[in-house]
Amino acid sequence: MSGAVKIGILYSTTGPYGTMGRDCRDGAELAIEEIAASHPGRIEPVFIDPEANIDRYLEGARSLLRDHGCRHIIGTITSLARKEVIPLVEKHDGLLWYMCPYEGFEANDNVIYTGGCPNQHLLPLLDYLLPRFGNRPYLIGANYVWGWEMNRLARELVEEAGGAILGERYLPLEETAVERIVAEIEQRRPSFILNNLVGPSSYAFHAAIRALAVRDPGFRPENCPVVSCDLQECELTDIGLGVATGQLCAASYFDTVVSPDNAAFKLRVASRFGPGRRISSLFASAYASVKLCAEAIIEAGVDDPATITQLVSAAAHQSVLGPLRIDPQTHHAALPFHLGRISDDGGFDIVTSLPSIAADPYLTGQRKRKAPQLRIVS
Amino acid sequence: MRETPNFTGWRAAILHREDQTTERLVRQLTLFGFDVTVQWQPLDARDLPDIILVDADQGWSGLLPWKDEQAPRPLIALLGSEAPGRVAWAMGQGVAAIIAKPVASSAVYPALVLAVGIHEERRAVADKIAHLEERVRMRPLVHAAVQKIGQACHVNEEQAYGILRNCAMKKRLSMEQIAGSILGGAEPLPEAG
Repeated sequence: MSGAVKIGILYSTTGPYGTMGRDCRDGAELAIEEIAASHPGRIEPVFIDPEANIDRYLEGARSLLRDHGCRHIIGTITSLARKEVIPLVEKHDGLLWYMCPYEGFEANDNVIYTGGCPNQHLLPLLDYLLPRFGNRPYLIGANYVWGWEMNRLARELVEEAGGAILGERYLPLEETAVERIVAEIEQRRPSFILNNLVGPSSYAFHAAIRALAVRDPGFRPENCPVVSCDLQECELTDIGLGVATGQLCAASYFDTVVSPDNAAFKLRVASRFGPGRRISSLFASAYASVKLCAEAIIEAGVDDPATITQLVSAAAHQSVLGPLRIDPQTHHAALPFHLGRISDDGGFDIVTSLPSIAADPYLTGQRKRKAPQLRIVS
Repeated sequence: MRETPNFTGWRAAILHREDQTTERLVRQLTLFGFDVTVQWQPLDARDLPDIILVDADQGWSGLLPWKDEQAPRPLIALLGSEAPGRVAWAMGQGVAAIIAKPVASSAVYPALVLAVGIHEERRAVADKIAHLEERVRMRPLVHAAVQKIGQACHVNEEQAYGILRNCAMKKRLSMEQIAGSILGGAEPLPEAG
């Protein structure tokens, strides 16, 4: 292979989820720099920032695939953007590396998923919460497919467990008027609050719950926690240090994970971005995904998606997320589960962990049912 | 709200020549938990799978072992053609959903869920129509029984109807069934009140 292989990095560093996008981009950048040091001239990144504009995701992906000749794109945060980009990636026979937790029910041949689907975050989370806090939660979510589908599934699982949903509300990403929802929560007194809000609405909600808990101890985190599946270390400063202390979040990685790999990783991040930088699961996943992609391209000597997919799914790869195994059928990574409790200093104290869980994006392993007995209508 | 569909252990048959379309379909269906067979010959009516996907571009009558649009299983058309004749062929077989060719993998799961849902709805509607037809057919019996009760108990038609209805409720039978029993003499005439 002569010349550098270009890989596209497609993240929005501004807009309602800009904090997350910047962490993704930084994680990708660190991986690119390390690859450049160990294999000079082999991989060349092409960064495009769609600034949270959905049309510009499409333009960006087209430019990466067609103008820059990238076959691999690491990027997109929302499911909306991912779904927008996938048809183009398919058309150009590329590979999209998607590394955010998402709502599942997808397994595209032209995508590698390293962020986790509900059987890797929501299901173990509810397994933990229901026996400890009760089975009468309140559901809130971002007003798009992530919020809708996560809450639909949560409702199904809670009701199967004999519980009841005390309320279900949705807010746009940038909506911060949460008073009516909080008033309803105060009145209905749920066992816990499942928070699938994203961005500023989530930050405003945490602040309002904090204020409620000051008035009414029943809403302190130890009594009625706000629980998320996608809250990141980098967002805790946006919420305000101390505001969300005690609230819970599930993730495949936390800055506080204790392992030799993570200790070394944190040193490298500190020397590149300065001490005190908290590493989020998005940062770590973007880093691990770029590393996995670039190292496979270098090892294979080619960048065609079929070869790369085969290579990355052939064995587990050592990563900061632990041994990273991509399933050859689902194209999803097996991921560990961690439950973190937000601490005063803007991190997560790990409450409990599970070793790697294989992804089951269509939940085929859940609640196995008998095949239907269909009769012939004559 | 409908529960999360689960196709684990279901059998699917793809009636299509083996090519990239079947390759992609087999991959997706296997992910959803199906056991998949691919064939390009008529289905065996005695051993139908749980769901059927058929090439509507090339399909011929006789490929599917049933008459008219009475598909006994959820049926999905794999369709690249826009020719009205091909769409009509698919409708004539009783398809409940379409997957356009070339197949986008994201199109498969929604089509399966839709086809199963439509199929169940059609069955429920057919059962309901059959039930209503039976009741309409039996309606003269109810009328005759009301007349008989009215004469025997010296009550008006409305009261006689009330007696018959109470009797049906007590016996947990339909109005038509109890009317038939009374007229046939298998059931004694109910008392007034």
